[in-house]
Amino acid sequence: MRQDDFDRILSKDQEIIPSSGFVVSVMDAVRRETEAPPPIPFPWKRALPGLSAAGFALVSVFVVGITPFIGETATQPLPAKFPSAFALIFQGWNAVGASWIVLALVLSFASVKLSRRFVSDKARWSEIQ
Amino acid sequence: MSAAEDQAAVEKVLDGDTSSFEDIVRRWQGPLVNLAYRFCRDRGRAEEMAQEAFLRAYRSLAQWRREAAFSTWLFALATNLYCSELRRIPVRTVGLDDIVEPRDCRAIDGGLEEEDQGRVVRRAVFALPPKYREAFILFYFHEMDVASTAQSLALPEGTVKARLSRGREMLRSKLSKQLGEPLLRKEA
Repeated sequence: MRQDDFDRILSKDQEIIPSSGFVVSVMDAVRRETEAPPPIPFPWKRALPGLSAAGFALVSVFVVGITPFIGETATQPLPAKFPSAFALIFQGWNAVGASWIVLALVLSFASVKLSRRFVSDKARWSEIQ
Repeated sequence: MSAAEDQAAVEKVLDGDTSSFEDIVRRWQGPLVNLAYRFCRDRGRAEEMAQEAFLRAYRSLAQWRREAAFSTWLFALATNLYCSELRRIPVRTVGLDDIVEPRDCRAIDGGLEEEDQGRVVRRAVFALPPKYREAFILFYFHEMDVASTAQSLALPEGTVKARLSRGREMLRSKLSKQLGEPLLRKEA
């Protein structure tokens, strides 16, 4: 088949005529949209103290939960059976404070996800409105 | 309604005259419903999708930059919506490999008659992967040129050409048995 054949065969597609009530239906939807109250903005001022407190609590829980673990692992000698390659990685991990880096990354990721969710909820809410 | 009238209607709507949007809907209802129909092959769904496209256009009228024609902007918006809609709830299609049409015994040359050829090719287009199918629908079914297809899909023209070419190759390889021989014979 050549391109001309496709052109010839596919250009014979049928046309449909919109139903008689289509314009009225669209305009009704447009008027509903116009008359609907504006979307309620997210109450950042009210939510900010709560979000800050939640963030602080989250960080505190992580710090309280991880600090003893970091202290222990840093001071405890590694078991003799621990494979040497893993031991090196583990020591290197502790030396650069990778746990803190991971913690920071997790918190950043959670914060980005949370804010994206707020934005999408807000968009969905404004569409419903 | 000319491009200038489109622009005038848009200005009126932006100034708060909602009823002027009706002129736009009247002017573009046919092309938008037909475009939707070419994507989904279901009249009811096509009208729903076109209505949503008009609503979205109404909400975003202020974002239309006058550099491009209103129709270009409207088609790009509608195409984007239709593609997303069909990715969300796809049209029921058969795989390219499953398109097997019995030869029509009425056709003297052993191939399918023209009406059947069209039906088989359209079914095959709907069995193409979405990125090829979307380019085909705009270029062939909606008779856009490559530039308009590229604008509607927000793609470079070269990419559209490549997708059309690759899509044609896929169709050719699948349909050559049903359609190729008689057509080639006619050309000889």
